[in-house]
Amino acid sequence: MNEIFGTQYFGFIASSFGITLFVLLAITFWILWTHRARRKALAKLEAAGIKRASSK
Amino acid sequence: MTIVDSPNIPRGLTALANPTRFLALVRIVLPFLTLITVILLAIGLWMGFSVPDDYQQGRTVRIMFVHVPSVWMAMGAYMVMVSSALGVLVWRHPLADVAARAAAPLGACFTFLGLATGSIWGRPMWGTWWVWDARLTSFLILFIIYLGLMALWNSIEEPARSARMAAVAILVGAINIPIIKFSVDWFTTLHQPASVLRSDGPTLAPEFLYPLFTMGLAFLFLFLTLHLMAMRNEILRRQIRTLQRKATRDIRAKKQATT
Repeated sequence: MNEIFGTQYFGFIASSFGITLFVLLAITFWILWTHRARRKALAKLEAAGIKRASSK
Repeated sequence: MTIVDSPNIPRGLTALANPTRFLALVRIVLPFLTLITVILLAIGLWMGFSVPDDYQQGRTVRIMFVHVPSVWMAMGAYMVMVSSALGVLVWRHPLADVAARAAAPLGACFTFLGLATGSIWGRPMWGTWWVWDARLTSFLILFIIYLGLMALWNSIEEPARSARMAAVAILVGAINIPIIKFSVDWFTTLHQPASVLRSDGPTLAPEFLYPLFTMGLAFLFLFLTLHLMAMRNEILRRQIRTLQRKATRDIRAKKQATT
């Protein structure tokens, strides 16, 4: 770790990369989770017989 | 007249006017985009962590490889929203508002990252986390614009009206983009002047420039991947809303028929 981030500014460099990784992973998982939830909701509506005109 | 018949729409855009066709294209393109993003990120990080220490900034120069691409994508996402806003107002393309709405949370995330990593980089280099200079303040305003636009979309129920209002607001907010870019030339700022996107070429040493471009490209592909995924979610949200309204209408019609 010292090789990558050094010792003097370890906290600053590691936290910059850490926060970037956290935010980008968070937005990616949020988008994936939303997709899953919406696919489920759409399937539920179609199972109840409410279908789009194009899928009839 | 539908968008497909409209003579004002550029020919390439009409093919994607149909959301079903667009979703089919996304299904094909997404795996390739994801793979390219992962490869570019791996190469960019490896290159970024292999650079020598800067003679002034020491090892903190490595923060540049996440800070600068985040800032580029924050402004790039806004330019996507500007072209989408034109798509809403000029061509009335059905996917234009979808594209703008999907880009806003991504732009807000990249802007937040630009602010956060810049602040973390500023502390050891400038001796302060924050200063109200023109570059930092105009970039903070970009973050507020993103939040405001997301609030605007969510506050107006009627889709066509919310799309038009947001498109106008996006175009008004676009004035902030050249202010961010040229703030370091127009005003005295603590932030350094441009060292990459300059009319006389980059002043950055090649050993820093190539890793920076690689990370910039990786962030661009990451944005494209996430943007397509977010657009797909927005199309699904609209399909669900349409079906829910249809279900409500059907129930009302049945009730009226029985009474």
